[in-house]
Amino acid sequence: MTASSPRTAAGPDRPGRLNPLTLLAAAGSTAVITTAAGSWPLSLTVLAASLGLSAAGGTARRVVAAAAAILVPLSLSLVMLHGLFFPEGTTVLAEWGPGRVTAEGLGFAGRRILQLGAVVLALLVFSFSVSVPDLVAALSARGVQGRFAFVLASTLTLLPAISARARRIRQAQESRGLVVTRGLLSRVAAFRLQAVPLVLSLVEDAGTRSAALEARGLSNAGPRTSYREVPDSRLQRTARAVLVLVAAAALVLRLVQAGASA
Amino acid sequence: MSSPSLTLPSQERPAARRRRLLEILGALAIAATYVYLVLNQPSDITGGPGSASALIALSGFLAGAVLLIVAVLPTLPASTLVLIPVALVLNIVLGQFVGSTLVPFYLDAIGTVLIAVLAGPAAGAATGALSSIVWSFFNPTVLPFAAGAALIGCLAGLAARYGLFRRFYLAPVAGFVTGIIAGVVSAPVAAFVFGGTSGVATGAIVSAFRAMGDTLLAAITKQALISDPMDKAIVFTIVAILVYALPRRARQQFPFLRRHRVLAGKAPAATTEAPAQGAARDN
Repeated sequence: MTASSPRTAAGPDRPGRLNPLTLLAAAGSTAVITTAAGSWPLSLTVLAASLGLSAAGGTARRVVAAAAAILVPLSLSLVMLHGLFFPEGTTVLAEWGPGRVTAEGLGFAGRRILQLGAVVLALLVFSFSVSVPDLVAALSARGVQGRFAFVLASTLTLLPAISARARRIRQAQESRGLVVTRGLLSRVAAFRLQAVPLVLSLVEDAGTRSAALEARGLSNAGPRTSYREVPDSRLQRTARAVLVLVAAAALVLRLVQAGASA
Repeated sequence: MSSPSLTLPSQERPAARRRRLLEILGALAIAATYVYLVLNQPSDITGGPGSASALIALSGFLAGAVLLIVAVLPTLPASTLVLIPVALVLNIVLGQFVGSTLVPFYLDAIGTVLIAVLAGPAAGAATGALSSIVWSFFNPTVLPFAAGAALIGCLAGLAARYGLFRRFYLAPVAGFVTGIIAGVVSAPVAAFVFGGTSGVATGAIVSAFRAMGDTLLAAITKQALISDPMDKAIVFTIVAILVYALPRRARQQFPFLRRHRVLAGKAPAATTEAPAQGAARDN
């Protein structure tokens, strides 16, 4: 059978190979439940579990790098914001000019950082461990339009290609004498010299690609055949349903609680 | 005897009506979520994370964005569809670059506004929402802003449709107004879901307002009113430069540009084409 590439054939032997939708359900429901619960021990547990999972999956370095790029500025911003200025706080730890360091403010910032960190890590572990072609195939098989799958897959594959092209354009402009100095005007001019050729070439490419896709029947209605087999099992289907239900229950429970206390 | 039953019944009309319904539902979900959040805000903002408001903001805005995508995506022509990934990459590459610097701007909507100007408000809204969803693969914190991004795309498309890109000085004005609306809508997300902003420079502005005793939502809304209009004015200007730099052959792919005469000095293609062909024949 031509459809089973070496990877798909090796699927059942590797226990780690799950259906991407199961992974998505797991990451999504973890994020929802952590947000709904809003308790820092749970956030901390999710954080540790996500780190452990990514270490086991061998993606720890990339996940941590990506998470740090998001969470470090966010944490700095939150600590500065709530640590120094929290008018609602009453327990003043230190006072410094207009800034008041309050215990409530620091606690608020800390809980927020932990909770957001847990959600970000859970979702990043998913996106760094999922196989994009599998995800696209699984989505199309579920009746999600081919168009969404196309946009997702095309973006993820275009990203490195476009970054490389932007680099080449910068090199070409530099070889023609572009020097970026610290001044604002020079930066704006440099931005224009690089952005205009980049966007022009991208629009031009997109036109060619659209003609090619149109010729292959992208806009045609009707069912499509996928040659990629995505592993799935009754167990995983059940697990997905349970995860989604638990997440929905957590959401409803939280809203009912809030409604009762308000 | 000519019987209409010889051809298959047209599926177009019910499908179009269903999509229109989804569009309206999506817009309603976003508007209702915003109104609810603003009306109920002060009670539980400092009630700790996991507050019901965060969940309502997340689910309401996300559901609205997804409905808009489902409604619009099937109607786009292929020439627009292939541009969407390009726009997303432009958003991500330029947004990532600016987000890491100490400037209180984002510039993460250049691709979205570009599509909106080339292909109209519906395409712009879908691109904005899709951009947030796909970007959340690398940065899950942009996911809750999907509704705001869709709104920016839609408003940019409307600005292009009503000729605000025909005069060069009107584009930043349109951007400024878009920024005010988008900033006000996005502020509850930043306040309830994140409890602050994700950048250090924007955080400093929020801190300044908090130091004056504002509530968190008020402080973040004011910060958004400082950052967003300037940011969008810059983005709209950049997009105007880019669109006017496009060669005519590239512009011809987009019927929206011709139908609504989006750009200055471009009479409908039929009339500009004819003399050009005539001149070529004369030579």
